[in-house]
Amino acid sequence: MIELKGVTKTYGKGGNTFTALDNINLTIPDAAVVAVVGKSGSGKSTLMHIMSGLDRPSEGSVTVSGRNLHDLKKKELDQFRAREISFIFQSFFVQGGDSCYDNVSLPLEIAGVPRSKRQQRVEKALESVELTDKTRQKAKNLSGGQKQRLAIARAIAGQPRILFADEPTGNLDSATGAVVEKLLFDYARANKATLVVVTHDQDLAAKCDIQIHVKDGRITEVKQ
Amino acid sequence: MKRLDIIRRAGRNLKQAKVRTLLTALAISVGAFTLTLSLAIGAGTREYFAKFLETNVNPQSLFVVADKKLVGFEGGNTGPKEYDPGAANISGSSYKTLGQSDLDKIAANKNISSVQPNYNLEATYFTYQGNSKKFTGQVGMYDKTIRGEAAAGSLPKLGTMIGADDIVVPESYLKALGIKNAKDAIGKTITVHVVQQAQTKTTEELQALYAQGGLDALTAATQGKSQDVSFKISAVAAKPATALSDNVQLNISDTRAQELADFTTQGTSQHKRYIAAIAMVKDGVKPETVKAELEKTGLTVKTARDLQGILFTVVNVVQGIVAGFGILALLASIFGIINTQYISVLERTGQIGLMKALGMSNRAIGRLFRYEAAWIGFLGAILGALGGIGLGTLLNPWISRKMSLGAGSHLLIFQPLPICLLILALVLVAIVAGWFPSRKAARLDPIEALRTE
Ligand SMILES: Nc1ncnc2c1ncn2[C@@H]1O[C@H](COP(=O)(O)OP(=O)(O)OP(=O)(O)O)[C@@H](O)[C@H]1O
Ligand SMILES: [Mg+2]
Repeated sequence: MIELKGVTKTYGKGGNTFTALDNINLTIPDAAVVAVVGKSGSGKSTLMHIMSGLDRPSEGSVTVSGRNLHDLKKKELDQFRAREISFIFQSFFVQGGDSCYDNVSLPLEIAGVPRSKRQQRVEKALESVELTDKTRQKAKNLSGGQKQRLAIARAIAGQPRILFADEPTGNLDSATGAVVEKLLFDYARANKATLVVVTHDQDLAAKCDIQIHVKDGRITEVKQ
Repeated sequence: MKRLDIIRRAGRNLKQAKVRTLLTALAISVGAFTLTLSLAIGAGTREYFAKFLETNVNPQSLFVVADKKLVGFEGGNTGPKEYDPGAANISGSSYKTLGQSDLDKIAANKNISSVQPNYNLEATYFTYQGNSKKFTGQVGMYDKTIRGEAAAGSLPKLGTMIGADDIVVPESYLKALGIKNAKDAIGKTITVHVVQQAQTKTTEELQALYAQGGLDALTAATQGKSQDVSFKISAVAAKPATALSDNVQLNISDTRAQELADFTTQGTSQHKRYIAAIAMVKDGVKPETVKAELEKTGLTVKTARDLQGILFTVVNVVQGIVAGFGILALLASIFGIINTQYISVLERTGQIGLMKALGMSNRAIGRLFRYEAAWIGFLGAILGALGGIGLGTLLNPWISRKMSLGAGSHLLIFQPLPICLLILALVLVAIVAGWFPSRKAARLDPIEALRTE
């Protein structure tokens, strides 16, 4: 469960402040598939960063799986993200010079998974996004859709309980986008994981259990 | 994240920027190359000198002087000194000398088997049998504590003096003397002409002389006397393979040297005074203990090992100069690493942001960049060391020939341990250089980093 209470995020100092998030109260139950929708600049990414502990709110509290993120030390927060959370971004952030295998292996190494156990997990993740034949290829040689599939393999290799995706289909054509969507939904459903997708795409949002509408840093509507 | 995984990732990251890595490493390799050579020069010369002393100098011999300026590096030329009639003047500097009482003091030590002063010999000229020319040259006492090699004739074994009327001629004299073949010189005669200064006599002594022998006796006593002493050439000394410098004096026996020195210095302040003496320590007694005993009496004593120390100081200076250049090159390359790694951090902000989002700690990120710097340092150090070893090994035979070091002697000696330590040190230097960029990477805000596209 992700619970936000009175979360406010302001940027800048003195008279020149900007409120990106304004008194957000929100509860996302475990294993929910959630869409965050809203116009550009409305604060969707900021909200996602705060829910994942990547950013700290100016005010309010964030509780994830019973832990108040504010109380965690930097090291504990890092470990928490390494073990329980993963991300997918609009611009894939795959490491072009590395092989697909090494890209997927990265979060496992960060989480301290021993070498012997990594191989099987990496191979399984690559298989589930149908990139087994590209295992030893360099990531820079992949197409855009393949890169995002690789990013998904990387995100799910560590079997996170919560998956955040910031406009995962934003850079892809609709057919490829549909493949990526399906992969994310399949993972969440099969593993009873929470999936939070930030998107402009109304069709994608409609397929989610919960739609959160954001406007100018406030939640305007939550559809179940 | 495990250290080994970080090191592997660091290595892979460098492989992805091969040209940049190689160029940065090459800058370090220049420093590594120079430092490797400086290590090799140090090791080589030290071994050469040690071997030289071991084979040429009796380890039981002590070199004794009254004036410590003679054996130190502090030059004697430190301004005017009060006149001391017993002091010897060498190129403008005044030195305290040893007298008979000093020699007796040394000989009185129960661990000393013999004392031999260095006679102060000045020959006006010498002639060679069958050659009407007069030559000037250095005449000195044969040094029985140093092993010599004969080009012709034979030299006594280490520790034994040549015959009283024998003379040993250095090979380099042969040409001037008109001797084509060293063998021809053996058995020939060399005559040394020495002059005694006019004697100062009191009025009473002069009156007594006049009364005895008239004007002739007076003239004979106050005019300079001279003497011709003949020697038979017993050997021609070759320049040995492991000698510091050519032996460039006519070597005569201790008895004759003493006679000639006494004769030429008769009536002067230098009579029976000596610049230095060689004392032999009895076998089985440590030269260092005797040295300490003698120095308590105010003398300055050097053991064969001290001599090695003095030579090594020279080596250290030379080695230091070469190493200085290496360190300078290294300093320049440090900026190369810093620059390369800063650019690398800027280029990879997205990657850094992603790693942080995935839970990689700031410490691990910093480490990743420091290990990259370490890899660069390692590569540069290996390239430089191998380059140095390669070039040194190629040049060694040529250097040995040019410097006539003798077979089997090399100026450059590459020892594995110091080179390994050097490589390790360079890796550490690279890590220190990589510290600034790595801190920048570690402190990067992940959200900002992820926004860059
Ligand atoms: N570091 C910052 N300093 C000042 N303002 C910021 C900062 N980060 C974000 N903002 C502002 O906060 C607001 C919300 O940004 P956010 O990135 O969350 O928008 P978004 O909804 O994800 O937009 P998009 O759909 O274009 O990605 C924007 O107006 C942005 O300019
Ligand atoms: Mg956004």
